[in-house]
Amino acid sequence: MDETASSSSPGDARSTTWPGGAPAANLPALPPPPPGLLARFDPAADSLAVECVARRRPLFWLALRTGALTVLTLGLYRFWMKTRLRRWYWSSVRPGGLPLEYVGLPGEKLLGFLVAVVILAFYIGLVNLVLVFASFSLFEGSVPGFLLSFVGVIPLWFYARYRARRYVLARSRWRGVRSGLLPGAWGYALLAMRMWAGTLLSLGLLWPRMTFRLEKYRTDRTTFGSVRLHQQGDWHMLWPAFAHLAAAAMLSLAAGLVAGGGEERFLWFWAVTLPWLGYGLVRYLVEAKRLMADAKRAGPLGLVARPKVRRVLLIYLLGYAAAALALALPAVLLAILAYSLEVEPSLGDGRSPTLLAAGGFLLYVSIVLLWGTLRHVFVTMPLWRHYARTLTITGTASLPEVRQQARDEFAEAEGFAEALDVGAAI
Amino acid sequence: MSRTPGTVIAVGRTPPRFRGHGIYLDGTSAAARATALSFDDATGELVLEDVGARWPYDEIRRLRDQAGGDQAVLRLADDPVRRLVLSAADDIRLVRSRARRLDRAPRVRGRGRLAAWGVAAVASVALIVLVLVPALADRLAAFLPPGGERALGEATYEQIRNALGDDMMPLEVCDAPEGRAALAALEARLTEGAGLEVPLTVHVLDHEMANAFALPGGHIVFFRGLIEEAARPEEVAAVFAHEIGHVAARDPTRIALRSAGSIGVIGLLLGDFAGGALVLVLTNQLIRADYTREAEAAADAFAHRRLLAADLPPDGVATFFERLLDETGAPEPHSFARHLSSHPAMGDRIAAARAATPEGRVFSPALDADQWAALQAICRR
Repeated sequence: MDETASSSSPGDARSTTWPGGAPAANLPALPPPPPGLLARFDPAADSLAVECVARRRPLFWLALRTGALTVLTLGLYRFWMKTRLRRWYWSSVRPGGLPLEYVGLPGEKLLGFLVAVVILAFYIGLVNLVLVFASFSLFEGSVPGFLLSFVGVIPLWFYARYRARRYVLARSRWRGVRSGLLPGAWGYALLAMRMWAGTLLSLGLLWPRMTFRLEKYRTDRTTFGSVRLHQQGDWHMLWPAFAHLAAAAMLSLAAGLVAGGGEERFLWFWAVTLPWLGYGLVRYLVEAKRLMADAKRAGPLGLVARPKVRRVLLIYLLGYAAAALALALPAVLLAILAYSLEVEPSLGDGRSPTLLAAGGFLLYVSIVLLWGTLRHVFVTMPLWRHYARTLTITGTASLPEVRQQARDEFAEAEGFAEALDVGAAI
Repeated sequence: MSRTPGTVIAVGRTPPRFRGHGIYLDGTSAAARATALSFDDATGELVLEDVGARWPYDEIRRLRDQAGGDQAVLRLADDPVRRLVLSAADDIRLVRSRARRLDRAPRVRGRGRLAAWGVAAVASVALIVLVLVPALADRLAAFLPPGGERALGEATYEQIRNALGDDMMPLEVCDAPEGRAALAALEARLTEGAGLEVPLTVHVLDHEMANAFALPGGHIVFFRGLIEEAARPEEVAAVFAHEIGHVAARDPTRIALRSAGSIGVIGLLLGDFAGGALVLVLTNQLIRADYTREAEAAADAFAHRRLLAADLPPDGVATFFERLLDETGAPEPHSFARHLSSHPAMGDRIAAARAATPEGRVFSPALDADQWAALQAICRR
């Protein structure tokens, strides 16, 4: 056997039958690289701008189609819907022209959900029963039981969110290299509860500390191939981002307290302070993201984020307004149907009530479906695109030194988050 | 710049050979390499010249659901990490002309494992809801102190009132004083010497369903529909005695604890949107009170003993249901009568009630005419 022909190493491939019997010299000259990616491709570039090719129209059809299938399969297709939407969202983001890739599979999500359901069914079924029993035996009321059962689920939420993040990161790649998140879900749940307790006890003043510490916990356990991310800075750097929110909240609270004390005209302050509070909240979310992204390092790699508060605010306002407007038509139809049946039940007499109910149900389902789709198109995607386009990756000349990491099998996927309904936005 | 291959006419011995561009990601590092591409039709392979790799046409797949549409990210069917990114429309089109399986879905592995887990999950949830929770509930019910049982009954009673009420208002309580007095007289007659561990609390609710049920902690609820459908007080008395039987055996406590355990599991499976429906399921479970056949038989036996001790005929329940069925021809959907008539042991239970009634014995009336009229009017005000 001619071992050179079957080999695929560079030197061997050229030696005998390359390509397919024709001498290499007979190949035409390489045409110039096409415009776009290759013309701009520079392996030595030390900073890469992030492009985003997300457009409304293809997303609308993808979200609508997969959403309809989810409804038709009574929710079973949602694992496929999530997978396909994530593939689309991920591939729309191209740092330096090369897209991210989402390699998660629907089957593993379904599997993870089933595993989580079994474990949670045991927990919720038996633990709730014992709690109800204990609550009625010891306190002669259901409130302590419900409270305890609720409190018992809180660490599970954080646990599930961390595990879901681990799954999503383990299934994300860029330039062929896997990212990942190290195990640590219980530690995260513990830290999250401590941070929440501090935030609540300080009436929200320690919120930046919570934001920073939780993000640091996640970031410091995030990997990209052989490099590990590191969150630098400390929580005091978030104070400037927090100032508007804190001031607006305090003024709103003060006005409310004065109004509650009898001076009701002080409620008019809310006309100013509440919109300000909304602005402050968006400002905090955007600015905190920016500050913390700028302080992330992965070896020589770094990030420069420049999201605009005003832009994000506009996306929220106009996006939800557009989605609501597009929904108005079917919603009005449904309202008219419901109202006319309420005031004039005889309207339904001639027709089968089952048919009317089916029509109403169909309309209701289509509204839910359309709302989910429009939210993707007008809110989620524009935000995603804005955050992507305002991001730059620095130190990219070192990328060839980043090695691949082993696959994190993680059979449970995001089952707990799915079952507890605390999944990611996408 | 871009050729339009549809109009290219190849002249000569062989058509011009394809040369294209791609970016290769080797899956071992984050290095990206530009590579020239060409075809080797003789072996059926795409040649990644600068990489020295050859990809068989039939093994090449394109990633699906990609945004943009200007790039094609290619992979090999059985290689999880290596990728080739094409960004020229012509290159993509030409590769597609060779790689016939480009858009084929990647192989799905582990379908059997998935099916096995699916079956296991359904089985374990069924085991939890149908076996573990009921078994634990039955054990725990015996240990619930009377105060707790009473509170549980009050909570479920309020829940039922709210769930069956209309327009956010709970079901009205019927408490016309004369009617209450008649009911109290009946209660006193049935419980005298019964040695009940818990005192009874009897409620009448303004609902048209012909139904009565017991709740934990000695609560017994009659719906207006049952009192109005009954032709004589002995029929109400027979139903009353039967429910007292359930109270004495603490059957409702077991049911309520069971639903407390299973309600969360059902919610877990159906998701949040079914929260409203869930309350209805729970309510339905409580008022339909699907006790076991043994529990029903025991409550019946208890009722027969109590009724005879109170000088009342045990066959009141028989005439009540038989007349209900006769009146409506077929039982109304969702009515108590339908529920009972669908119960396989119902015929036996009617027969047992008949058998427990000594022939020729004359009973004293359950209520006098005035009391009976007052009871029937308990919801009017």
